[in-house]
Amino acid sequence: MSFIKINDAKKNLDGKRILKGINLDIKKGEIIALVGPSGSGKSTLLRCMNRLIDLDYGTIIFNKKNIFDVPTVELRRDMVFVHQESVMLKGSVFDNVSYAQKLMGEVDKNHVLKCITDSGLPIEFSEKNAEKLSGGEKKRVALARALSLKPSVLLLDEPTNGVDPKNIETVEKNIIDFSKNLGFTVLWVTHYIEQAKRVSDRIANLKDGIVRDVQKTKDFKWEGAY
Amino acid sequence: MGGSILSVGIPYTWDEGLIILLMVSVLLIVVIILSVIKKIGVGKEFTYAILKGGGQLTVIALFLTFLFGFEYWYFLIWFLLGAMIIVSGYTSAKRATGMPNAYVVTTPSILLGSSVVLFVLGITRAMPMEPQFIVPLAGMAFGNSMAICSLCLDRLLREVKLSRCTIETMLSLGASSHDAMDEFGRLSVKTSLIPTIDRLKTLGIIFIPGAMAGLLIAGTDPLVAAEYQIIVYLMIVGGGIITAITVTFLSRKRLFNESEQLCDWL
Repeated sequence: MSFIKINDAKKNLDGKRILKGINLDIKKGEIIALVGPSGSGKSTLLRCMNRLIDLDYGTIIFNKKNIFDVPTVELRRDMVFVHQESVMLKGSVFDNVSYAQKLMGEVDKNHVLKCITDSGLPIEFSEKNAEKLSGGEKKRVALARALSLKPSVLLLDEPTNGVDPKNIETVEKNIIDFSKNLGFTVLWVTHYIEQAKRVSDRIANLKDGIVRDVQKTKDFKWEGAY
Repeated sequence: MGGSILSVGIPYTWDEGLIILLMVSVLLIVVIILSVIKKIGVGKEFTYAILKGGGQLTVIALFLTFLFGFEYWYFLIWFLLGAMIIVSGYTSAKRATGMPNAYVVTTPSILLGSSVVLFVLGITRAMPMEPQFIVPLAGMAFGNSMAICSLCLDRLLREVKLSRCTIETMLSLGASSHDAMDEFGRLSVKTSLIPTIDRLKTLGIIFIPGAMAGLLIAGTDPLVAAEYQIIVYLMIVGGGIITAITVTFLSRKRLFNESEQLCDWL
C-alpha cells in the first residue's frame, strides 16, 4: 500500500511544461532518491508536494488523502520541505529550530536541543547567530528545523549541497538514522548518483518532467538518462 | 473676493494680490533663464507645473468660495470628500506595481485612517463643523494618509519580493501567511512612518510647518498656532499608522492565495 501516490502530475511554470505526467508510489518509511539533470522537475515536484505551488493536473495522495483536501498548514507540518537555499530566519540557532513550535504555541526546549544535536551540530551552537553560520552549518540548522516538527515525510532538496565534504557523510548518516529510527519517509533530491546509492532504498530517475524508471538501489543500473 | 481671514492676515485684497503675484512671477523667468544658461532642462517642466498647479488651486479656490457661502454646504462637501478619497486611493495604488486592483486595498485603508482621526477631531471640537475647517483638515488627513499608504505598500512589496525564499521557508515550516508576513508588515509600517516622525522631531527648529505658517500669516496667536500644529501632527501620525496597518493587513489577501501560497504576479 502506497503512503504517497503521485498520479499523472503535470505542472507548467512560466509557460514551460516542467512536470509532464509524474507517476510515483512511495512506501512508508522508505528513502527515495530523485535524480536527474537540472530542469528535470525534481524541485518542482517537491514544491508541489509541499503545496508551495499547485499541480495543474493530476493528484498526490498522502496517507490515503488527496493533499488538496488537507488544510495547507497542516499538510506542510506533516510533509516538511527543506529548501535547497538554507535561508536562516533572524535570531539564534535555537530561535530557528524552535520557530515551528512557537507557531503552534509551545516550545519543548529539550526536543529543540535534541534536534540541534541530532542534525550534527554541537549543543553550544544553539545560541549562535544563525545568519552567521557557514553554508554547511546552515544546512544542518534547516534540517533540525524540519525535524522539530516530527513530520511523517521529509522533502529534501539537495540537503548536502554546500556542506564541506568531510561532513557530508555525517549529514547523510543522520538523515538515514532519523528515517530508520523514527519512521520518516524521505524524498531526497540529489545531483549525485553516488550519493543516491549511499542513502536511498530506491532511486527514481527523472528526465524532461517524467519518471523514466524507478529501481531498487541495490539493483540500480546506470543507463545514462542522467 | 477676499474673505475675512485674508483681510485679517494678509494686508491686501484679491485684485491687489494678483498684481503682486505677477510681479513675483519674475522668479519664474529667473528659473527659465538659469535653466537655459546652465542647460538644466527644467524650465519647460517648471513652467508647465506652475501653470497646472496654479490652475488647480484657482479651481479649488473658486469652489471653496462657493462652498463656504453655500447654505447647504454640508450636502455638497461629501462630493468633495468622496473625490479626495477616490483620487488618493488610485494615486497610492500606482505604487503597487503589478498588484491586481490595488485600489481596492489602498482606498479603504486611507478612508479608515482618515475617517478615524477626523472623527476624533470632530468630537473633541479640534475641528469645528464648518467647511473652512473640514476641507483643509480632511485634505491634510487624506493627503498624508495617502503618502504613508504609498510608502508602506512600496516597502511591503519590495520586502516580499526580496524575501521570497525566507517567506517560503516559513510557509514550509507550517507558518500561515499571516505569520510569514508579520515581520515584513511591521517593518513596512515603521518605515512608512519614519519621515513623519522625523519631521515631528524637528518641528520649529528647521522649519515652521504649513498649518502653523498659515495660521501665523492669518494673524493667529503663535501659541494657538503651535497647539493647532501639534493637533495636525497627531492627526497625521494617528491616521498614518491606522492606514499603514490596514493596508498591510488587506495586502496579505493580494499577496497570498487561499492555499497560503505566494501569488503568481509577485
